[in-house]
Amino acid sequence: MTILDTCEWLETTAIALLIQESLYGFPILVAIHILGIGLSAGTLLWADLRMLGISLRGYRLAEVYRGLAPWFLTGFAVMIVSGAALFTAFATSAYGNVYFRIKMVAIACAGVNALIFHLAVGREANRSVPATATPMIARISGLTSIALWAAVIVAGRMMSYTMFSGP
Amino acid sequence: MTLASFFSWLETTDVARAVAESLLATASLSALHLIGFTLITGSALVANLRLLGVVLSQRPILEVTEPARRAIAVGLAVSVATGLLLFAARAASVSVNSTFQVKMLLLVAAAVFHFTVHRSVTQRASRTTPLLRATGVVGLALWLGVAATGCAFILLE
Repeated sequence: MTILDTCEWLETTAIALLIQESLYGFPILVAIHILGIGLSAGTLLWADLRMLGISLRGYRLAEVYRGLAPWFLTGFAVMIVSGAALFTAFATSAYGNVYFRIKMVAIACAGVNALIFHLAVGREANRSVPATATPMIARISGLTSIALWAAVIVAGRMMSYTMFSGP
Repeated sequence: MTLASFFSWLETTDVARAVAESLLATASLSALHLIGFTLITGSALVANLRLLGVVLSQRPILEVTEPARRAIAVGLAVSVATGLLLFAARAASVSVNSTFQVKMLLLVAAAVFHFTVHRSVTQRASRTTPLLRATGVVGLALWLGVAATGCAFILLE
């Protein structure tokens, strides 16, 4: 079964049909997905700004990251669930869309970036490092995160303008 | 010249027509508009959650609310600029849309509230009080209201 076959099958599932056929299902899901950007990327931004070392410098890096983590992780959960639902309903259109592919690659890269940060700095961040310190790896990771999530947001919006045109 | 005729005229300007006739221009402006939204909403969330005493309460309130205020100003600049261009392309029909009108009212209310009441309350505060919490709740409600009506407008028009 190819990926395209899987996409076509997804569009026939009960959830997909529910979304495709209900009057308000699609707009509500997209609204949740957009509002979720504020909760996920919007709060992560502040953790990234601390990682970059340009804001919230009175706080320890770990204080900011751990303080905001429940919020941006909840945000990402919202994005994954709403995004998965939207994908099942329009899987073939999404799969064939170049902006969707860019978006997925950018998200994967952001995940790798977060993993690298955790492995490299996670345990160190709260120990003997002074409060205002910002390790170089944190700066790079923070900047990369901001750039990648901006790309995800832009690609996502471009997707919605281009995925439904054509035969 | 009435407001309605002004909006009709706005649609005929070169800039407005350039946006209206190019899907790429409209999509790009919309994408940037969403970046501005992310900056505003994320900052409003963090700042108002700080007022509620829910996040980052280890340090004084102003250490969160001041940078957040600057970020909201930047986000507003981006969203208003892109919003004006997007609006110009379809000014006549959008201006009479009631969802859009509510969004604009909430936007003005949220921005005015944030740069006046919110600002003076946070600058006088040293710790979380009922007034601070109420300010945080109102701030959150207003900004989320703008976001929700924005979604309703773009998805249901």
